[in-house]
Amino acid sequence: MSGLGALVLNGFRESRRNRVTLVIFLFAFVMIFSATFALELTVATFDRVMTDLGLGVMALISSFLAIFLATGLIPREIERRTIFMVVSKPISRSMFVVGRFLGNMLTLYAVLAMMAVLFFIQLEFGHASITRPHVAAIIGLAFELLVISAFSFLFASMSSQFVASVVSVGLYFLGHLSTDLYQLAERSTNQAMGLFGKAFYYLLPNLDRLDYRPRATYGELTAWSEVGMSAAHAIGYSVVMLVVACLLFERRDFK
Amino acid sequence: MSTAAILTEKLTKTYAVGFVKRRQVPALRGLDLRVEPGQIYGLLGPNGAGKSTTIKILLDLVTPSSGRAELFGRSPSLKEARREVGFLPENPAPYEYLTGREFVRLAGQLSGLEGSALDSRVSEVIAQVGMEYAANLGIRRYSKGMIQRISLAQALVTRPRLLVLDEPTSGLDVLGRQLVRDIVREEQKRGTTVLLCSHIIPDVESLCDRVAVLIGGKLVREGSVSALLADRQTMMEATVESVELPRLEALRPKMASMDEAGGRVVLRFEEQHAREVLQAVLAVDGRLTGLQRTRFSLEELFLGALKESGRSVGSDIS
Repeated sequence: MSGLGALVLNGFRESRRNRVTLVIFLFAFVMIFSATFALELTVATFDRVMTDLGLGVMALISSFLAIFLATGLIPREIERRTIFMVVSKPISRSMFVVGRFLGNMLTLYAVLAMMAVLFFIQLEFGHASITRPHVAAIIGLAFELLVISAFSFLFASMSSQFVASVVSVGLYFLGHLSTDLYQLAERSTNQAMGLFGKAFYYLLPNLDRLDYRPRATYGELTAWSEVGMSAAHAIGYSVVMLVVACLLFERRDFK
Repeated sequence: MSTAAILTEKLTKTYAVGFVKRRQVPALRGLDLRVEPGQIYGLLGPNGAGKSTTIKILLDLVTPSSGRAELFGRSPSLKEARREVGFLPENPAPYEYLTGREFVRLAGQLSGLEGSALDSRVSEVIAQVGMEYAANLGIRRYSKGMIQRISLAQALVTRPRLLVLDEPTSGLDVLGRQLVRDIVREEQKRGTTVLLCSHIIPDVESLCDRVAVLIGGKLVREGSVSALLADRQTMMEATVESVELPRLEALRPKMASMDEAGGRVVLRFEEQHAREVLQAVLAVDGRLTGLQRTRFSLEELFLGALKESGRSVGSDIS
């Protein structure tokens, strides 16, 4: 196995052994509890409530898990000084960052896949059908996690876990508001505000673009071409973030 | 002249510290070192002397502010140069979620080993450091000594041409220390160059061919151990009873060391002061129970260099 492959699998093994999979049990618990609750309250809209709740909880848990994992990996390695024995090996620092990132993504996608399976089982139990909008919403979430992890990694490569977490959480919310920010800039009569707002829109990740969950709730179809375009945007944005993270990490001193 | 295993020329490193990184702390000030292939080379110095910074530059963990560092004629920033190196950091922190075997295996994979060659080499080095019994146990359950041993195994896994050992005997019991010394000697027989950084001076003295003493980021002594210890005044050690140390204070300027323990005072001094010391002891009714010649040790060389520089141990930057 190559050095990169070893790093990726090591990252996955770390999360598994550090009981990250517990979040799946948390998700299952929330889903079972909320299903009982939804059945009590709803008459004919069980599938809508369950979709909204299931996808919402899935997005919330996985997004915060992505931030928590991505902002913790590198600072923790530096703080505990495990990094000394890894980056002193004949690998580039960029390979280290990419390997850790991919290991992290593997973990997140494994968790997401298990949550998706639980969600689909839940729908089946409630006699609600699994639809294309459901699948599109989960694919969108997968790419959203990619973007969240990428910018969290970037911040983690140049600051402490605490700072990286705070900034990443802020960016997560801003990322979901970036379209509103653009519209606000368009309507603003102040030219500076307009420019500022638009600049922010282009700099910030557009996470709303990957959020097909409301459409899934109402059973609205999303064209695969739209999903593809959004995925391309997410991949492009993530690659840029990762390249910058690698460049910063290459220059860093490990005292 | 053959290519040096380690070469540094006018190596300097200044760290920018503080919230806005305005304070400049020099860690290395123009260090020149040359370690020939096959040597065991000791780096001595008090805390903050620049030993770890030197090692980190040699492993590309830190970028020098100026000057040059080379491993077998190549920059440490090149992967090919680091492929030749096995590194054991001070207070190593391996991944706790891995077992010892998995950790050594990961180190081998990162260094380009694979397949059956990797498997057999992993087992071999685990046996070499005496960790077969705990190789499949999670590292989080290891004692400090076990962590030290498994970290040494990961440094050895690629059969490196250069071993960089930062405090390799720290946290080890007597048997562990002996094991490390044996491994270092075995590695030297195999032709490996060893850079040994240790606070345990007797280890350095017994293992190293050459030593460098760093103080305040500068090289203050360098040479073969035998040459550094030769041509020194023969030291005497007197053991005195029935007298307290304060009554012998007048002798202090001429003493290399004065210690009191278990009701005895041990004085170490150069042979030329023997008469004065004996007279002073008799003058205060001290009972001389031992007087012998001792060899000038590396520890004394180190303390002497420290005294000359006007610094005390642990007083430097950190």
